[in-house]
Amino acid sequence: MNPQIRTLADLDRVIHEPGRLMIVALLSAVARADFLYLQHETGINKGTLSSHLTKLEEAGYVAVTKTYRGKVPQTLLCLTDAGRNAFEQYRRKLKEAL
Amino acid sequence: MDQIRTLLDRPKLYNNIDGVGELGASILCLGYSLILLLIMRSPAESVWHRSSFLFFVGMLLLIHYGTKAVKTRITYPRTGFVEHRKQWRTAAIGAGVGALATFALTVVFRRRWDNSMLASLGWVVLATGYGYNAAKALRWKWFIAGAMAVASLVITFLPVNFVRAVGREFPARPDQAKFLGTILLSAMVYGALLMISGGISFWLYLRHTRPPAQEGQ
Repeated sequence: MNPQIRTLADLDRVIHEPGRLMIVALLSAVARADFLYLQHETGINKGTLSSHLTKLEEAGYVAVTKTYRGKVPQTLLCLTDAGRNAFEQYRRKLKEAL
Repeated sequence: MDQIRTLLDRPKLYNNIDGVGELGASILCLGYSLILLLIMRSPAESVWHRSSFLFFVGMLLLIHYGTKAVKTRITYPRTGFVEHRKQWRTAAIGAGVGALATFALTVVFRRRWDNSMLASLGWVVLATGYGYNAAKALRWKWFIAGAMAVASLVITFLPVNFVRAVGREFPARPDQAKFLGTILLSAMVYGALLMISGGISFWLYLRHTRPPAQEGQ
């Protein structure tokens, strides 16, 4: 198999999905952000965003903290070290493949 | 890859999405001008001379906590909360490059230019930094940056007597009247331009975002 094609096949599928790629890219540029920010920036609806975040959390890429801002519940999200490394690796492989 | 790059830049652009940062900077410039003006126009034994540093620190605290309060009450409930990564290295490199550029320009122009011209040059460096940062998000901010640069040039070439007259009544530094006049005029103009730019951004932000519904985020 062509090495470039093999690189493409090796891409992390958890991150490769467009919605999750947007989430991971946004989170990689900040210390942490809340659910509303991700919703506003990605334009993904609440249910789908929640589902993507669950997958990323299960993969150990995103840490979720439930808290309150005044009386309003707030979900804070940040990329874990594993998530950060996986994203860097993903970008490197994608660059090689392209 | 370009789209990923764009996504990585989004949080930086979000920093001034509401124009509150510019409004804070405008209050800093206008407040500084006001303090300077009060020092120039009041007797040497007045409270403005003795406690100007305290007023300045008070103003900085007011801007810091005021900005934070607006973000907490208006921005975060509408478009979400972001905590930026502490990028000390980038900040240090930026500050270093800015300082070096100013130093180099000062050395180059020192012989032909006086202090007030160099002060104007410093303001132009600020305008360039502002344009580079703010215009990444909104192109029309280049007009504000351009207006700042033009204002600095106009102030530099204003009649000397007029600029001296602005700064003449500062008892401690009578020889520096033109320099102080330049600083004062520049701070006032930059403050006004930042106020206009920040005000427009804030108004547009309020128009294009909805107040929060009482539900979880």
